[in-house]
Amino acid sequence: MDAGLLGQFVANGMMLGMMYALVAVGFTLFFGVLDVIKFSHGDVLMVGTFAGFSAYLGLSAMGIDNVFVQLVGILVVAVCSMAFLGAVIARYLVLPLKSAPPLNILLITLMLGTVLREAVRLFFPDGSNPKPFPYLLPTDTWSFGSFTLRADSVILLLGGLLVIVGVHVLINKTKMGLAMRAVAQDEETAKCMGINFNMIVLLTFALGSGVAAFAGVMNGLYYNEINFSMGLLLGVIGFSAAIIGGLGNIYGAILGGFLFAALQTVGAVALPFSSAYKDVFAFAVVIALMVWRPTGLIAEKSSERV
Amino acid sequence: MTDKSKDMLIGLTAIVLGSVFLITFIAIESQVGILALIGMTAIAVVVSARMGISKRISEAFSSNEALMNGTVIVALLVVTVWFREDHFPLLMIATVMLYLTACLGLNIQFGYTGVVNFSGAAFFGVGCYTAAVLNQHTAIPHLMVVVLGGVAAALVGSILILPVLRTRGHYAAVVTIAFGILFKTFLEVNDTLGGPQGLKVPGMEVLGWNFNSNIEIGDEIELSFYLNYVAIGLILSVLAFALTRRVERSWVGLSLDAVRLDETVAACFGINIRRWKITAFTLGNVLVGMAGAVFAMMLGFIAPTNFAFGDSLILVSIVLLGGMGSPWGTVVAAGLVILLPEKLQAIQEYRFLLYAIVVILILLFRPQGLLPRGLRAYVPGWRG
Amino acid sequence: MSVLRKSTVSAIALAMVLTVGSGLAEAKDKVKVGFIGPLTGGVSANGIGGRNSADLAVQLRNADANAKYEYEMVALDDECKPNVGVQVATKAASDKHIIGGVTHYCSAVAIGAVDIYNKFGLPVIVWAAVLPDITYGNKHKEVHRVNGTMINQNDVAADFVAGLGYRNWVIIHDTTDYGKGHNKYFSEALAKSGGKILATFGVTSEQQDFTAELTKAKALNPDVIYFGGLTPIGVRIRSQMEKLGIAAEFQGTSGIMSDAFITGLGPLAEGTLAFREGAPVDKLPGGKFFVQKYKEQGYPESPEAYGPFAFAAMNLLLDTIEEVGPNRKKVRKVLNKTSDRDSIVGKISFDDHGQNTVAAITKYVVQDGKWVVWEDSEYASGKRMLVGMK
Repeated sequence: MDAGLLGQFVANGMMLGMMYALVAVGFTLFFGVLDVIKFSHGDVLMVGTFAGFSAYLGLSAMGIDNVFVQLVGILVVAVCSMAFLGAVIARYLVLPLKSAPPLNILLITLMLGTVLREAVRLFFPDGSNPKPFPYLLPTDTWSFGSFTLRADSVILLLGGLLVIVGVHVLINKTKMGLAMRAVAQDEETAKCMGINFNMIVLLTFALGSGVAAFAGVMNGLYYNEINFSMGLLLGVIGFSAAIIGGLGNIYGAILGGFLFAALQTVGAVALPFSSAYKDVFAFAVVIALMVWRPTGLIAEKSSERV
Repeated sequence: MTDKSKDMLIGLTAIVLGSVFLITFIAIESQVGILALIGMTAIAVVVSARMGISKRISEAFSSNEALMNGTVIVALLVVTVWFREDHFPLLMIATVMLYLTACLGLNIQFGYTGVVNFSGAAFFGVGCYTAAVLNQHTAIPHLMVVVLGGVAAALVGSILILPVLRTRGHYAAVVTIAFGILFKTFLEVNDTLGGPQGLKVPGMEVLGWNFNSNIEIGDEIELSFYLNYVAIGLILSVLAFALTRRVERSWVGLSLDAVRLDETVAACFGINIRRWKITAFTLGNVLVGMAGAVFAMMLGFIAPTNFAFGDSLILVSIVLLGGMGSPWGTVVAAGLVILLPEKLQAIQEYRFLLYAIVVILILLFRPQGLLPRGLRAYVPGWRG
Repeated sequence: MSVLRKSTVSAIALAMVLTVGSGLAEAKDKVKVGFIGPLTGGVSANGIGGRNSADLAVQLRNADANAKYEYEMVALDDECKPNVGVQVATKAASDKHIIGGVTHYCSAVAIGAVDIYNKFGLPVIVWAAVLPDITYGNKHKEVHRVNGTMINQNDVAADFVAGLGYRNWVIIHDTTDYGKGHNKYFSEALAKSGGKILATFGVTSEQQDFTAELTKAKALNPDVIYFGGLTPIGVRIRSQMEKLGIAAEFQGTSGIMSDAFITGLGPLAEGTLAFREGAPVDKLPGGKFFVQKYKEQGYPESPEAYGPFAFAAMNLLLDTIEEVGPNRKKVRKVLNKTSDRDSIVGKISFDDHGQNTVAAITKYVVQDGKWVVWEDSEYASGKRMLVGMK
């Protein structure tokens, strides 16, 4: 296989990896802070994308045609509305169930995801059909032999990278990030230190959901299509990625995201069967990894009270 | 009247009322009628709970188990015979029974042992596809195929045993979810098993009696062929129910409960965690696989989209709705979940949505389910 | 205890009254007919168009004072998924009150459901599914079809596109029986017309990302990329072709002939070729009548490509019920003997497998955001050039 073709696949893999990493970061944040897996994350991503889409429709209806304004508008609407939704979910569904068995929380968030998905399918006009997402990024391509680099891929990659760096800075260099890490480490001591536990939880959920909304808009811009079930698979993949990297560890999540994308790309390219087997391959490897390292690659240091 | 016969009378009355309700529920076609019936039944149930009647009924059930169970089976037969000529009601009843069998299997897995399984639909699918392939290409008697469906599900489940044993909690959940998706995707991309087009399944035939042809008695009476499937479904679910009860009440069940409640302590007491988890997982999968095999033969056609993640969620929710570890609860929940959306045409489109909302509400406000499992009876005849 | 008994008794009484009441109501002139199509999902535009057209036929018939019965159409959604289709087919067929059905746009669904119709004895007329096996793959007397099969479509397609001067093809098809059928017949036809097939790729109907297949295709440098499948995937493949910089002509089948294809792609759809059996609506014998009546009835959605066939199928069914009464066996017998019946799509005759022969295949090209008949387009006259043409 020539270098150009290889490069093509690598570029594609990086894109996917970035999206998965963004979703996985959300999962990891929630787990770190509250010890919960919020399974509706993927569907929150989808709702965010649809919110962005509605913003686009609204802006176009108002006659604003400037691509840049539309792009910013979509992003702002998607991220803010999902931050809000994330906080609401945390406040009313997750916090009250803090002490319930983990299976219950898992199920409640799974069902919540179903509610979100069905609500969009039923109540968004013509929701069950895939919707074309506008071409808002420049469509120039640069060809190096058989390797075509798309301008929008580069922009999306850079954007995703910025967001990840931003989250990293937020968590590690700001006071709020300090509070989040404190709560993740030990809830009671953090409360003793004067940290407003509930507020931090809400903020963490808002942050994670906002990041997911960004990932969703990225997905929409890349594929130029959105549909109501896009959140489900992304959610499961993001979850698997977070698990591979070890829950509670942001770098693990990012690593997991790119690893999963790499698995998919390798599966698509290297396997002699059709590329549709890539998901089978990737998930099989995930399961095998879980057997080898039951708590993820970057293992969770946890103690269990007997 | 002695206490014992009073008990029996209460229990029998409850069963009779239940079957009348079931018959009217299935028979009514108009939407207004259904809503009225549901409303009245809901009021009746709440009122009886308030007045302590439901407590009496459950006491009646537990003190006369054999009689009550027998009567329930007879009642189901009566309901079936009532609808002998209508295809669709019988199809619904058979579906409820098969789902019940599958959910009882899942119940053993996480109601008793705490082994999370979000790929129930995948094992159901294994049973279905086994039946499809064996029926089409071999001449193995179909009753044998049903058993083989269970065996196949157990075999496929053994792939998951190692991951399930080594992981806990969320990680275990992810493993089963990943497996479910893997299974469905594999079916879709693989052409030997029909691919996305699915497979046709020849109907069941036992000793020359073709399950797929209507039973004609004389010129007038043409009984729906679904009666055959209801019969098999009934046998399967009764067997599964009896099995579940026996397991629960034996020392096997005791060990399983111990594993669920606290693994570390159970291990300290000498209970072999791995062995019991493997047993529960395999046993549950066998039940799910057998139900799947019969289901495939009943429907005549299966496709990978039958076994998506959403369907696994439905199975898990039925168990949760009824009350984890409570077989009777699973019975009621299975009936509700399958019959309600079919009858309320108006909510057909919204059924997943409403259904998810109901589960959320139950988890928030009544996490023990509809008919919570009672305390274990250590003294025969005593119920908490 | 007595309160309980009273409320239960009254519930039962009410229920019984309602059951008997609704039963009495049906003893009158009402006849139920079924319609099955994809009302939700990626191809719902076609399904809804078909449903509206069939509904139009029922409404016009109910408005006709000479009709012997009053018709009620029961529309069921098969979501273009084989298992859902089988479920709703079972539902319709097991309902004794439904006398006949007009069924299926998606071939993948139809091929699964035909056995159900045979099992329950429900006579059906297929209105849009093109897979030949639906009628020719079995001996079920219940199954008929008014539209043509994909064999003709692909014969004409291969001939025509090869005739335009293209040499090399890459075929992408979905892995349902529908896509596989297209692959089979097109490959055979292309071999006869002298085109060369460089590679064939099968994709799943839910697939989002085609970079793997398209990158491999790009390396082979084909003149044309042929797609055998439905609109949602067609939209994705075409837009991803653009992103990878593949400069080849995009050729599709009747599966992508819908407005949703054009809305999904915008300017990228320009120049796409597709083929469909049957003459364009305005050239059909009853075309203008159909379009006018459809507009009058005020349906918000367009009838799409197969609406006229759905209308014709429903009309044929209603005519037959008028003739012999609401009895499934009799309707089936008469339908089997249909020969030279007039309809808006021309004369309908069912052969021994229930298949109607539709002679004309129309070629279409997307021009300025609309599907235009090839002969009327600026591509045919030479004012515009297809990709790769000189």
